[in-house]
Amino acid sequence: MDSANGSEEDALWGNDDDGGQWSHQDLPNDVEVLKRIWRNEKSAPEILGYETLLVERVREQIALMEENLAAYAESLDDVMLSLFEMDVNRLMFLLRAYLRVRLSKIEKFALHIMRTAELWDRLSAQEQEYAQKFVDVLSKHMHDSVLGKLEKAYDSMVKQAASSEENDMIVEPQLDTYVFCRSKTAVGSFQLDDKGDETVDLMPNDLYILRYRPVRGLLGTDSIELV
Amino acid sequence: MFGRSAALLVRELTTDDHHLRRFNYDLFDKVISEIQEHFQQVTTIMEKMQGENEDGQISSADENYNGALIHHQSILRNKRCLLAYMYHRANRLQRLRWQLGAVLPEDVKELLHPSEKEFVKSYSEALSSYMTKLDIDLAVDITPPKDPYIQVRVLNNIGEVLLGDQSTSLVRNSIHFVKRSEAETLISQGLLEEFTG
Repeated sequence: MDSANGSEEDALWGNDDDGGQWSHQDLPNDVEVLKRIWRNEKSAPEILGYETLLVERVREQIALMEENLAAYAESLDDVMLSLFEMDVNRLMFLLRAYLRVRLSKIEKFALHIMRTAELWDRLSAQEQEYAQKFVDVLSKHMHDSVLGKLEKAYDSMVKQAASSEENDMIVEPQLDTYVFCRSKTAVGSFQLDDKGDETVDLMPNDLYILRYRPVRGLLGTDSIELV
Repeated sequence: MFGRSAALLVRELTTDDHHLRRFNYDLFDKVISEIQEHFQQVTTIMEKMQGENEDGQISSADENYNGALIHHQSILRNKRCLLAYMYHRANRLQRLRWQLGAVLPEDVKELLHPSEKEFVKSYSEALSSYMTKLDIDLAVDITPPKDPYIQVRVLNNIGEVLLGDQSTSLVRNSIHFVKRSEAETLISQGLLEEFTG
């Protein structure tokens, strides 16, 4: 979603003189976006692009909400206060869950991500640093325990043997797995394989179970969402 | 039979899903020495084959070729099993780090290979450094929050703990009304339980 939206909402939250900004409709849209991004990330077999700006906005928003909460702690009654607190906590949960699900994918596919420039660029700077460290730690562990005891021809973590032609021990995500997705726009007739034997009519708001590989592009253009 | 010990080692992982067993040194070392034996065999056969052929070439038509191949494949299989064993144990340790925090309890440490202890330590450092950089503790809030406050019962005498802005004395069996996010770590460490009565 566009960043103008977020700053406008921030302004609403910041402009707290009249006390009327606490109503539900003022809840910024970024929350919905984050929720969708998190669900996509959770269901997609591969790692998706890191939402730098969104995360930044959400964090600013959380900080602002907490500030407001502290400022209003005196004047609001306990029920209202705990409702607002719940709101902040929910947003925090979403943010944590989003970052966590990414970390778990990074750990699982670290070697694959590191050797694929396209995937590597999807990580935030901190995630890249983490991935690097994780691979270092894991390979040290494997060498100290197993690989160091093997003969030179067999001591690689990414190759079965020195004679292997490629790195055949790197775990890759299974892109042909099926995902539940909802079409957000009328994509129309969509081709599911190279030959064009298999097509699907994507109608807005309909649910589909499709192979991930052909529809991953639609995820990038925000035409579908995973559920 | 070739590869049997390694298969046993891997099977150990599937018997109980959640518990980490004591590191199986006996079986592990046995597989390692099997690999060394296989390697000896491969080397011997290869040398023999090279010696027999005048031009030093190895051809797949050689009668010894299949023997060498089987030893080679056995090494690969054993290697993969050993790595799978270590990797799955490492995954469990990673999960424990999330559940229990940076310091593992002594009874878990006893079960580990020295390299595994090292691994948990470095993993935990990498994770902590990531969370510090972001300034978010990702280990809390594992389940979606319902009520920001929960009732907890204290299972062990903990003493004075800073909850929120005030210090609370957590005495065994006392019940407290606390912030969920603050209680979660203590709950996962088994010091508190959620009180639903």
